[in-house]
Amino acid sequence: MAETLLWVLPLVPTVTALLMLTTRKRILLSCLDIAGSAVLTVLTLVLACEVTDGGPRSLGVFRVDDLGLIFLLLLAVLTLAVSIYTVGWLKQALEVGNMKADSLRSYFALVHAFVATIVVTILADNLGILWIAMEGTTITSAILIGYHGHHHGLEAAWKYIIVTTIGISFGLFGTVIIYAAASHVMGSASSMSWAAIMSVAPKLDPGIVRIGFIFALVGYGTKAGLAPMHLWLPDAHSQAPTPVSALLSGVLIKCALLAIIRFQTIAAAACGTEFPQQVLLVFGLISVVVATPFILAQHDLKRLLGYHSVEHVGIIALGLGFGGTIGTYGALLHVVNHGITKALAFFAAGTAIARYDTRDMQAIRGLLTVAPIGATLLMLAALSLAGVPPFSIFISELMVLRAGIGQGDWVSITIFLLMVVIIFAGLLHHAGAMVFGEPTAAASREPEARSPLLAMLLLAVIMIVLGLTIPASFDGHLKRATEVIVD
Amino acid sequence: MNIATVHSIIDDLGALLLFTMILIVAASQISRAIYAVATQSLFIALAGAVLATATGNVDLWVIAGITLIVKAMVLPWLLHWVVRRMDVKREVEPVIPDMATLALAVVIVVMSFHLSASLGSVRQSITGNALPVGIALTLNGVLVMATRKTALSQMVGLFAAENGIFFTAMAVTEGMPLIIEIGVILDVILAALVMTIMVLRVRSTVDADIADLDRLRG
Repeated sequence: MAETLLWVLPLVPTVTALLMLTTRKRILLSCLDIAGSAVLTVLTLVLACEVTDGGPRSLGVFRVDDLGLIFLLLLAVLTLAVSIYTVGWLKQALEVGNMKADSLRSYFALVHAFVATIVVTILADNLGILWIAMEGTTITSAILIGYHGHHHGLEAAWKYIIVTTIGISFGLFGTVIIYAAASHVMGSASSMSWAAIMSVAPKLDPGIVRIGFIFALVGYGTKAGLAPMHLWLPDAHSQAPTPVSALLSGVLIKCALLAIIRFQTIAAAACGTEFPQQVLLVFGLISVVVATPFILAQHDLKRLLGYHSVEHVGIIALGLGFGGTIGTYGALLHVVNHGITKALAFFAAGTAIARYDTRDMQAIRGLLTVAPIGATLLMLAALSLAGVPPFSIFISELMVLRAGIGQGDWVSITIFLLMVVIIFAGLLHHAGAMVFGEPTAAASREPEARSPLLAMLLLAVIMIVLGLTIPASFDGHLKRATEVIVD
Repeated sequence: MNIATVHSIIDDLGALLLFTMILIVAASQISRAIYAVATQSLFIALAGAVLATATGNVDLWVIAGITLIVKAMVLPWLLHWVVRRMDVKREVEPVIPDMATLALAVVIVVMSFHLSASLGSVRQSITGNALPVGIALTLNGVLVMATRKTALSQMVGLFAAENGIFFTAMAVTEGMPLIIEIGVILDVILAALVMTIMVLRVRSTVDADIADLDRLRG
């Protein structure tokens, strides 16, 4: 059963994408969209139960373990939320002419093709397939980022495809080097399977694995938005259609982190845990520090969220870098927390931008008066992103901090805390100014659309629940995933 | 073929590959860069064929054939088509001066030989000095992508980098598994197509060159 699911899961979004091409009716397309995402979510939950009972499964080039499952669950939930959000968002975008009615089916088809490539990156056991699927995500999402077809969108899409393709070339180079080291040990039975390489990892030549890991980290780190390779990220996240921004920020950059974790485990087994952790720590710190001034000085709401993703990817890298059970568990929890919260933030920001017809935060005022529910959700998302208790991000940031203290790495902790506090103040300043005050005359007073609110409420509930308690089954997945990394 | 012959043929091809790479970096006209990268792909396909004969590895024959058709013929033809279609008047437009790029390229080649020394133990004896050449091609391809403003030059850089990775894989493991190699080439084709579509789209919708898009900052 679980083995069958491994090849059915990537097929679901693929078939959905193909079905999209058969119709032009907006209602039908939206129904298909939601149905496809719902099937994906249900099957993912079934797979989660199967893996809980029977452990990791593999089939050909695919493999699922608890580590991949966490990312898969995040993807499924966000895809469903995005589908629901799209219904109301699309109606508004069609009215103002941001989307064109005759090209809708290609948009929906691309979104699901994008989801399909992400599913393959998560399930890929073969490191070559992982790379191919990762480049696949670049190709599909590049078209989506430039979908509006205006000057800025096309510029962002071009920058994205060039920068990430440069980066990912390094990723393939790192993969080839690790594969060479592995086939040197495995002889004629050589394969690019992560599980197979892991089984011989302690025997690999540490010097070569080190070089391979650096290349892989720089390569997939570009895709993950780690500074200083993050140059594409604020542009792409701010120019993409809002549902795509949510997927990029919520899932795609997390999947690149999954790829990094795969290489981290190989490197840790071959040359000790110290080396990969040190490298991740450095990139994590650079990301947190680089993102801060841009967050403070930002005027564009979606760019703000983009830079904020750089900060949080940095925090996840810090968690992995501090290592140990707590740091790794915290990093994985942060992957989920940030994914859910950031998607919520993009949704809320997207509706606010549509209402005021501007991305400039100084022109968005008094959201609470014109759209009380949306404003509340935006404020909740901002509070959570800033790391206020009792929201989920507070918990995972605390775990990362705790791991750092356990390591006694005071310099890193000081920098991390300082930046988090500065960003906390900056973010709440921006959010407060938008939510409160007198609404500007330009603000639309239309009632809030239902489907975006429904999608946001779904994510907000998950965000709040994860802040108060971690459900036992999910905790189990996280713990076993931590064991995969830490051993 | 005995090992010494294969060894020397691969070394000769490696020298030719480096020469085509320098031509790409130094090309002042986009059409010359396209011819250079097509020639480079041809040499890569030849190297694959030589290695296939020497090792009896059928997969390598397939890969050499695909490389010849796709990278030495179809993709360069696509780039030439775009050049004619768009009536490109602007040439490569480096971000930094040509001489600086060439100097960087030389530094990269020297660095590659150093780097390959530390990768010594996985080197396949049969491919001789292929490893540093592969690394140099990859990094120089990336250099071209990073230091050119025009879309077509960046695509040429991408193809060169992919050639380099391919050559590296041959140098260390007799190539990646066939299915992976095909997937990688498929990705490169798709990326090239999407980039081409974007180039044409930028021209038709906002009437500008990709190189002129620089409004997003901060």
